[in-house]
Amino acid sequence: MSRSYGVKVPRNFRLLEELEEGQKGVGDGTVSWGLEDDDDMTLTRWRGMIIGPPRTIYENRMYSLRVECGPRYPETPPFVRFVTKINLNGVHNSSGVVDTRAVSALAKWQNSYSIRVVLQELRRLMMCKENMKLPQPPEGQIYTN
Amino acid sequence: MAENSGTDPAVERSAEENAATSGTIIMVTVKTPKDKEEIAISEDASVSQFKEEISKRFKAKQDQLVLIFAGKILKDGDTLSQHGIKDGLTVHLVIKTAQKATGASSSAGSSTSGTSQVNSGTANTASPGPAVNLGTSQGSGPSPATSQPASLFTGFGDLSSLANLGMGSANFMELQQQMQRQLMSNPEMLSQIMENPLVQNMMSNPDLMRQMIMANPQMQQLMERNPEISHMLNNPELMRQTMELARNPAMMQEMMRNQDRALSNLESIPGGYNALRRMYTDIQEPMFSAAREQFGNNPFSALGVNADSPGAQPSRTENREPLPNPWGPPDTTSAATGTTTTSSTSSTTPSVSNPLGISSSSLGNGIFNSPGMQSLMQQISENPQLMQNMLSAPYMRSMMQSLAQNPEVASQVRSSPAAGTNPAQQQLMQQMLQMFAGGSASSQTPEVRFQQQLEQLSAMGFINREANLQALIATGGDINAAIERLLGSQPS
Repeated sequence: MSRSYGVKVPRNFRLLEELEEGQKGVGDGTVSWGLEDDDDMTLTRWRGMIIGPPRTIYENRMYSLRVECGPRYPETPPFVRFVTKINLNGVHNSSGVVDTRAVSALAKWQNSYSIRVVLQELRRLMMCKENMKLPQPPEGQIYTN
Repeated sequence: MAENSGTDPAVERSAEENAATSGTIIMVTVKTPKDKEEIAISEDASVSQFKEEISKRFKAKQDQLVLIFAGKILKDGDTLSQHGIKDGLTVHLVIKTAQKATGASSSAGSSTSGTSQVNSGTANTASPGPAVNLGTSQGSGPSPATSQPASLFTGFGDLSSLANLGMGSANFMELQQQMQRQLMSNPEMLSQIMENPLVQNMMSNPDLMRQMIMANPQMQQLMERNPEISHMLNNPELMRQTMELARNPAMMQEMMRNQDRALSNLESIPGGYNALRRMYTDIQEPMFSAAREQFGNNPFSALGVNADSPGAQPSRTENREPLPNPWGPPDTTSAATGTTTTSSTSSTTPSVSNPLGISSSSLGNGIFNSPGMQSLMQQISENPQLMQNMLSAPYMRSMMQSLAQNPEVASQVRSSPAAGTNPAQQQLMQQMLQMFAGGSASSQTPEVRFQQQLEQLSAMGFINREANLQALIATGGDINAAIERLLGSQPS
């Protein structure tokens, strides 16, 4: 999906591509993403899902996220926040908002990155030693704000 | 096959299988992290119908299945078309196994408790070998019935903490524990151990003792909670007294008796009982439970600590077990005399004068003889790294220091039967001494250090300075032993 020659692909084209990939299940099947609302013509609001990696405390849980791709996407990184409550370094405890500085894919965003990349990075974070044993809230809780 | 008003050309491409339900059949890929299957399903099927198909294919129960498409979880009541699932698209599947997330957290919890146990093991072993709750012999000639996991090893400096340091041996810990268990089962050993002059010497160095005691993290915790304990430890007078006690069994017994009597008197004072009880709860129990985890009985019962005046100090430990019957079989917990506070046969009640409850019977030269010890030595000799680590433990160093400063002790260590039985051990001992000497002797060369001894040797007639020096180095400065060496090597 990355372009060479520095051609700037229009935002919507990029997002449509990402939509298709999300529907086709590109990747290893541990993350999923798609439009929040199929009628969203601006392709701004997305939903993501991360399957908790095995052998961590997140195992067997599914984490739902909201991804917002702003008007300047993919030049600027998307806003990501967890909907399902999670205890993870880099995620605000009270709102589920992902701290841009804590996730390297967001902190060092490149326009060749995608929603998939971000979701996979978050999943990798779950497997880090410092995160993999953090006590988690009971399953099924979501952030209300 | 009805025409859809659908916009998807893929629908027309879809295989026309026997559709039990109306609507076109679409092929949907179902992907798990491990697997991938193509499932034919009717386009307007509901999610639960879809799950039915899936459960057949994946051999899992329907309620274990969680389907995700485009970042959303598919609920049973939804339809596929509602989510926009069309032919050729992929749906992610997660098969929930029976274990819940709480299982994960409890395993996390148990791992932490596992480590804390190891730590407490370490901690327990950390307490100075000779000091602290070693079985009492309360005047009983026969050794205490249930000996305490002696802290002997603690003398050996927290070997288990070394294990934690990543020496990588669970073995080490186990070894430690084995040793302890053996000691526990063999009370006589304890008394032997006490008799070992090495141990006695160690104990005569209050600094060393204090250091060892303080090195025990549990002690530290306890100290924080009960400042009296730290006062006690820091009071050299008291420490010395305790050491004396430990070295002199008779004195110890006397002391014990006095204390017990005092305690029982205390009880008869109105309100005194409560005070005692408080002390017990505050001090003895935490130590009890801390140690108990590892040892199964109460090695720390003695750590009750106390300052000088009974009654006034809440830190007096009370031990409600009956006085051991000096003529009868050792008996630990029979509550025969109810109110009399006594030390259990296997623990030493801290007394006013014996704050650490050091028991004279708890140490002995059996230490070197114990099979556990031997296997420990063996392990050490096989693994030089272990040795290195062991020696680098702080209190190990101070123990070495006391060894070095007291050449008699050093010679005893070397010549002690256990050390002698096994050449490897002996070698080890020597190495230990040398390493120690090498490590601590700072900037002095052996010649300088042994200056005095060299002079003595030459005065005695051993003119071969080189040989003298060698001998002295080998014996760690012990003149007598050096002489023996020299004589042994000379033909006449």
